[in-house]
Amino acid sequence: MSVTPSRVPVTVLTGFLGSGKTTLLNRILSEKHGKRIAVIENEFGEVGVDSELVIGAEEELFETNNGCICCTVRGDLIRILGQLMKRRDKFDYILIETTGMADPGPVAQTFFLDDDLKNQFQLDAIVTMVDAKHFEQHVDELNEPAEQVAFADLVLLNKTDLVDADALERIERRIRGINGTAKILRTKNADAPIEKVLNVGAFDLQRALAVDEAFLEPEYPFEWGGAYQLDAGTHRLKTRGEHDHHAPGHHDEGHGHEHHDHDHAGHSHEDLAIAILPLPAATPAELGGAIEAAVRAFAEPATVVPCHGTIDGPGHHAIDISHDGADFELTLKTPGAYAVFCEHHPSGCGLHFEGQKPAAERKFASHHHEDDISSIGIRDPRPLDPTKLNQWLDYLLKTRGQDIFRMKGVLNVKGEERRQVFHGVHMMFDAQAERPWGGATRMNNLVFIGRGLDRAELEAGFESAVARQ
Amino acid sequence: MAARQSLAFALEPRASATVDDFIADLAWAPAGDALAIAGGEGKVALAKVAADSLTLDVVGEHLLGTLALAWQPRGKTFASSGQDGSIGLWGPDGKLVRRWKPAPAATQALTFSPDGELLASAAGKIVSLWTPSGEPVHAFAPAAATAVGLAFDKPGTDLGVALNGEVAVHRIQKTRYETRRYKWPAACLTVNFSGNGRFLASGMADGTLHFWNRSTGKDSQMRGYDGRVELVGWSDNSKYLASSAGNDVVLWDFSGKGPEGTKPVVLSAHTERVGAFAWQPGGDHFVSGGRDWRVALWRPGKTPRPLDVHLQDSDVTAVRWSPDGKRVAVGERKGGVTVFELVAR
Repeated sequence: MSVTPSRVPVTVLTGFLGSGKTTLLNRILSEKHGKRIAVIENEFGEVGVDSELVIGAEEELFETNNGCICCTVRGDLIRILGQLMKRRDKFDYILIETTGMADPGPVAQTFFLDDDLKNQFQLDAIVTMVDAKHFEQHVDELNEPAEQVAFADLVLLNKTDLVDADALERIERRIRGINGTAKILRTKNADAPIEKVLNVGAFDLQRALAVDEAFLEPEYPFEWGGAYQLDAGTHRLKTRGEHDHHAPGHHDEGHGHEHHDHDHAGHSHEDLAIAILPLPAATPAELGGAIEAAVRAFAEPATVVPCHGTIDGPGHHAIDISHDGADFELTLKTPGAYAVFCEHHPSGCGLHFEGQKPAAERKFASHHHEDDISSIGIRDPRPLDPTKLNQWLDYLLKTRGQDIFRMKGVLNVKGEERRQVFHGVHMMFDAQAERPWGGATRMNNLVFIGRGLDRAELEAGFESAVARQ
Repeated sequence: MAARQSLAFALEPRASATVDDFIADLAWAPAGDALAIAGGEGKVALAKVAADSLTLDVVGEHLLGTLALAWQPRGKTFASSGQDGSIGLWGPDGKLVRRWKPAPAATQALTFSPDGELLASAAGKIVSLWTPSGEPVHAFAPAAATAVGLAFDKPGTDLGVALNGEVAVHRIQKTRYETRRYKWPAACLTVNFSGNGRFLASGMADGTLHFWNRSTGKDSQMRGYDGRVELVGWSDNSKYLASSAGNDVVLWDFSGKGPEGTKPVVLSAHTERVGAFAWQPGGDHFVSGGRDWRVALWRPGKTPRPLDVHLQDSDVTAVRWSPDGKRVAVGERKGGVTVFELVAR
């Protein structure tokens, strides 16, 4: 009988116009890496490398016959993949490039269309290239860049040499705000190591769900918290000085519009809200335990502290950081552990305690949502009832499938010895039993990435699927 | 009264050969003395078929894969096309007569008109007509999508084109061309005219099979398939429409009032996906081949079980009856080509 061949991994490469997709493809095709990679490019002749493994495709969309308007797949891809599978010396890899304006959904959904496709191909990852220089402008003006980031398992933040460190931090935070699970890799001339782009194994959910859970948590009025061990007396809290504002390696030549970005960043950092709270100890656990107190402190009116002013101990303060090299005195009556929670990540303005490093720190998802696309994570150990789980997911996808771009999860299903793993794109998803739990702590770990997601609705739905004792 | 013993039919292997390629398709010469062979990796081969031997020659190549084959009815030449976009015309000895590119895109499909006087090709969005020697006759206006399937109806006046979103049927009357469109919002994968001219069928990528009544235009949809319906074929007498999108072959019975509201006949013998099937010309036998390496002979309507099953050396990827309906050529993923003879025991 025929032996089921191993599935061919597929990487979907998306990215807005000019983000560097073609540069990356040309590099992958010309580098000596010993892999046989078939490239399906969005039109003939874009890739400049003569290769018998480059096939042009024209985007031909059709809706699947399940009555859902978001379940659109690529007919041309189905045909080309079928033809590629007629080669007995199978490819190690298939790489599909989408057009700059394309919604990656239909490409990814194609691999969920039927069992034959699922059995032959393994969607390895959706890789989105982001042009660091133009991302902020594009994401404000158009829907596609944010959607492409939302679908990504790996974001290649490209052309990092064309922006400064502040802008990179800001862009990364924005990407994180949209997609809390994607890995982010900074590149200059699309120079990502090939092994980091291919075989990402994004659908190895254990790995995918491990990153940046901060962005999957409930939203807080602060983006960062740090725990410090401080003596009694006066401490200096400073922002980055004027002379070290630019990141090393940043070149201004030929980029006359850079200053505009700086102005933009300056406005958003004028006043920085911080909360200083005493802690039992400067440990990650105690920092985590102070979150609620920090939320309460942020709800209190803030004491305004002018540039070069004095912060009179714990409490909620609004410090003026509109000038480079701002510094503040903090006077403490008692020595001990203290937490500092910041409205924005302190790396944005370089805020730091002179001579002190945090003993523990943590990032949080802030309330500042520039994009209506975000990620929501649910972690809960309680076992789920398989029937109720299906009812919830069916209902959720029928009613919200269009808004949910990606959905991934590892589930603790009652009576199941193995982890139930699922991943989906819009309404189409695949679920299977994977490794046994064994001695590991059973835990449901779900992530939804989409537009206008409602945490309360998702949590209520999850609650409805919890098995009764 | 003695029970009358009906004849038992079977397939007996007569000859085999191997091409170093994935057998994507096969085409018999009208006289049944040669087989053209399309390799999924690109080879084009020609086999001389004798009673108990196959003498095989690789005659050419289409870079990245051969996609289509067609043998000229009543003629001695065959055409091939490929991922490289080109069409090759090959003479009786396998010599390349002509090679050309109709458009800068892969040429997905080729077919000759039943009288052998026209060759139709589908290259990207361009469907063209050629003389049997490759001279241009007509190019239709570019289609809205890539043309993936072509078929003439039995009289040869209508050319059906499978596209994403529709089957376009071009009526060819000397130098006048009219187009009628049968629309469905999915990728149409096949185009199949019934021999009696009454129906046009198409298998779809959305897991449905459609057939249109050609006089009323009425569209009927058959659902319940496991996936893309890539295999569709009418029986020679137009009684059955066979289809497959998985391990089973589904037969819709068009006798009487037609298949609407009826349950289909399901042929179940394969344990993996059916890769190819074909109806016997001038008869009622049917052969299917699958990824389970099996070739099965059926006589639908007589018995729901296969009459005979053979195990090949790899996935069965192509099945073609000889024009006289007496032999079956079977191609495999690993390159094996076997000619079976239909025998009565």
